Amino acid sequence: MLKVWGRTSSSNVMKVLWLCEELGIAHERADAGGAFGVTREPFYLAMNPNAKVPTIEDGEGFSLWESNSICRYLANSRAPGHAIYPAAPKPRALVERWMDWQLSALGGPMTVVFFTHVRTPERDRDMAATAKARDEAEGLWRMVENQLGSGPYVCGEALSLADIALGPYLHRWFALPISRGELPALRRWYDRLLERHAGFRTHVAVPLS
Amino acid sequence: MITVWGRTSSVNVMKVLWLLDELGIPFERIEAGGAFGRTRDPDYAAMNPNATVPTLVMPNGYSLWESNSILRYLCRTQAGGNALYPEAPEARADVERWMDWTLASMNEPMRVLFWTFVRTPEAERDMDAVAKALVAGGRLWRTVEEVALADRPFLAPSGFSIADIALGGFLHRWFALPIERPDLPRLRAWYERLLLRPAYRTHVAVPMT
Repeated sequence: MLKVWGRTSSSNVMKVLWLCEELGIAHERADAGGAFGVTREPFYLAMNPNAKVPTIEDGEGFSLWESNSICRYLANSRAPGHAIYPAAPKPRALVERWMDWQLSALGGPMTVVFFTHVRTPERDRDMAATAKARDEAEGLWRMVENQLGSGPYVCGEALSLADIALGPYLHRWFALPISRGELPALRRWYDRLLERHAGFRTHVAVPLS
Repeated sequence: MITVWGRTSSVNVMKVLWLLDELGIPFERIEAGGAFGRTRDPDYAAMNPNATVPTLVMPNGYSLWESNSILRYLCRTQAGGNALYPEAPEARADVERWMDWTLASMNEPMRVLFWTFVRTPEAERDMDAVAKALVAGGRLWRTVEEVALADRPFLAPSGFSIADIALGGFLHRWFALPIERPDLPRLRAWYERLLLRPAYRTHVAVPMT
């Protein structure tokens, strides 16, 4: 059975757990990372030299890290051709682009805002840095707002790995105690995920910790 | 003909030019980004709202941004691309993880080092940030040395792939920047192996600007 290593509070673990639920992939999970430690133990480093979560083990001897790579792998191996990771080059490239953009653009500022408010004691917070990151994040979410003009999900009519890659940050954006500009399509998308996707409710839209 | 928008000094443009040459695909290139501007013009923003380079435009007008997504798309649609982006889920995941890792982990320290030494006047350089980036970068390159290159010539077990292309730009900078580097012989051998490829020498291993 597929084994997922990683604490449930990690946005990157959330992606994998949500995808497993969307595709009905049976799995077991073991805590690791943060207060759970484990990630610097030799057996873990042998699977994942980055000492991060998540890591998956799938059958004899195959392990994988990097959450977006794990999502692609699970879609390729469990549900080839599924709309969640479309096979045709152009629709797939659209999904890939937003996954990559989550890593290359959105990840930086969203990590600053999240860590400041959730994982840093109030007196140690760098409020100037977090204000700058919030502004940057809002500009980036505005790109998603415009992209959502074309359909109910990021890449159109169906839920895709792009929604799954962005979803944990989307929840944080709405759950953090920060000011937010008017982004109605983004809000509708968030509400749609909450309403229609049990995996999003269960694994992603949870109290921040 | 395929058009690539983007200045040749961008590490992300380099990836795309390198791959096009590896595949023997002719292309034209239009300057954009950095001192060339253009990326905030309305016609460019219509192709790429992220206002970054590169943007790829196919002969039929289809356009795509995010450099790693462009690499994947070209491999899936152009002759010869399969060899650089294997199809079996496990083999493909072994390529993907290093591509995502480049965006998620390597980007930040290498960006700090490059911008400090190449694009910041000496008097304004933040040498504390450099020291931190050297530690982080050194640790990440050691991961490449000890994990990816432990028993094979290129990053993925399947051979030369778009994982090498995604990380190869930073690799050149690591060896070309005026910094102290830990002794990583397999990393050096990999760099020398890439230098044997004419397209790497033409587009990537060039003076830094």
